[in-house]
Amino acid sequence: MTLVMIASYVITAFLLALLAANFVREKKSRDDLVLYLLVMIPLILRLLRVK
Amino acid sequence: MKREVLSKSVLAAALLALLVWGGIPLYRHRHFDLPIVEGPGVSGVVRLSAYSPGLRGTTADTSVFVLRGKEPGGKAMLLGDTHANEPEGLLATLIFIENAVVDKGTLYIIPVFNNSASRNTRPGDGYPLYFEVPTAWGAVKFRMGNRDASPLDQWPDPDVYIHYPDRQLLSFIDVRNVNRTWPGRAGGPLMERVTFGAMEIMRRERVDVAVDMHGAETMFPVTNCIVAPEKSVKIATLAALTVKAGEGFEDHVEPSPAGFRGLSHREIGDYSDTLPFLLEAPIPFLDQPTGPKTTKLLMDGKDPFLLSLAAKKKLFVPYDASGWSMERRVGQHCSVVLEILRQFSRKNPDKAITVRGVPRYADIVKNGVGHYFVDPAQADARKVVRN
Repeated sequence: MTLVMIASYVITAFLLALLAANFVREKKSRDDLVLYLLVMIPLILRLLRVK
Repeated sequence: MKREVLSKSVLAAALLALLVWGGIPLYRHRHFDLPIVEGPGVSGVVRLSAYSPGLRGTTADTSVFVLRGKEPGGKAMLLGDTHANEPEGLLATLIFIENAVVDKGTLYIIPVFNNSASRNTRPGDGYPLYFEVPTAWGAVKFRMGNRDASPLDQWPDPDVYIHYPDRQLLSFIDVRNVNRTWPGRAGGPLMERVTFGAMEIMRRERVDVAVDMHGAETMFPVTNCIVAPEKSVKIATLAALTVKAGEGFEDHVEPSPAGFRGLSHREIGDYSDTLPFLLEAPIPFLDQPTGPKTTKLLMDGKDPFLLSLAAKKKLFVPYDASGWSMERRVGQHCSVVLEILRQFSRKNPDKAITVRGVPRYADIVKNGVGHYFVDPAQADARKVVRN
C-alpha cells in the first residue's frame, strides 16, 4: 500500500471520528443526526475496504 | 436524556442495517472466485507476478494458463476481461482453456487480465453484480466487473493521466484502464504493472501473436471489427475475409491509430516483435440509450430502444429483433482467433500454431456457450484454478 493510500485511510478514520463525535454531541436536530450517519456510510465502506 | 439515547440508538441501528444490507453483497462480489477447469491442453498455470514482481500480493495479480503443444512452433497470447464489463472475451478464453488441444506451438491465455476491475462494479449504471451462463449441469456464475480497476487497489487518480512512455495526456480515469496503460513499467501504477507483466511474457517468451478480446457499443463506430496496426493488418484482413466467406459473419478491419497511445493494438506492436490484434464484438448492454441493465440484456442483447435507433440508422451494426446474443459474440471471437492463428501459420510455416478442439461461430450459436464448459465439481480438484 502506498504512503498516499495509507494517508487517505488515516484521514477517513479522522473524519469518521469527527462525525461520530458530532453525532453524539447533537442534542436538537434529528435531521442533522440522520445527515451525520448518511455521510458516514461511504467512509465506513472505504475504511473496511468494501467499496 | 433517555429519549435522546433511544433515538440515537435507533438511528445507529438503521445505519448498521444499511451498511450490512449494502456492504455484504459488495464484499462477497469482490471475494467471489471463479473456478476454471484446466482442459486437456493446459500444461501449466503461472501467476502474472512471475513476470511482473510488483503485482505479487495485490488483487491485480492473475492466472496465466500455458498450453504447450507437442511440437514447437509459434506462440500466441489471448487476453480476456481487459475490460471486465465486456465478458465475451472472458468466456471465449475459458472455452480455449477448457477445450483446446495445441498440436504445434504454445498459447498463453490470461482470462481475467484486469482482475481488480473484475471485482469492481458500476452501481451508478445499475450493473448487476453477477451473470450466469446455462449449462447441462446447471448455471455457471460469473462476476460482472467494471471497465476500470477498483479504487481500493489503485488510488488516487491523477488530474490527468500522463501516459508512459509517450507522455500523451489521457483522461484521469484511464490510469485504472489496462487498455490505456500499455506497454507499462515495472514500478508504475498498478495497472501499468499488469500490462508490463504481459509485455514481459511477450518479450521473454518471444510471443508472435497477441489477441485482446473486447465488446463495444453498437452506437460506437469501432465495433464488430478487428483493430490492427500496420504490421498486423494483412493477417487481420485475411481473417476478416475468410470468416465472412466461410462462416457468414461480418468482422471488418479498423486501422490502429498511431496517435492514440496506451492501447494494446498500438503499444504491443510498437514495443515488442509481437503482432497485436484487438477484437470488438457488439454488446448492446454497454450502449447508453437502452432499458435497464439486466443480465437478460447482457446475455441476449435485445433492446427496444436500440431497435428503434436501428430503424433510424443510428447504429454501426445491423440490428433486429433477434438482438446480438452472447453466443454470437463469443462465437465470433473464437472463430476470429482461430482464423488469425491459421493465417499467421500459413504465412509463417516455421512458426505454425495448430489448435484443435475449439468450437467455431456456428457451433457456439447452435449449442450455447455453456455447452463447452466443464463442471468443476466433477473435475479433478487439482485441475481447478480459482481466479
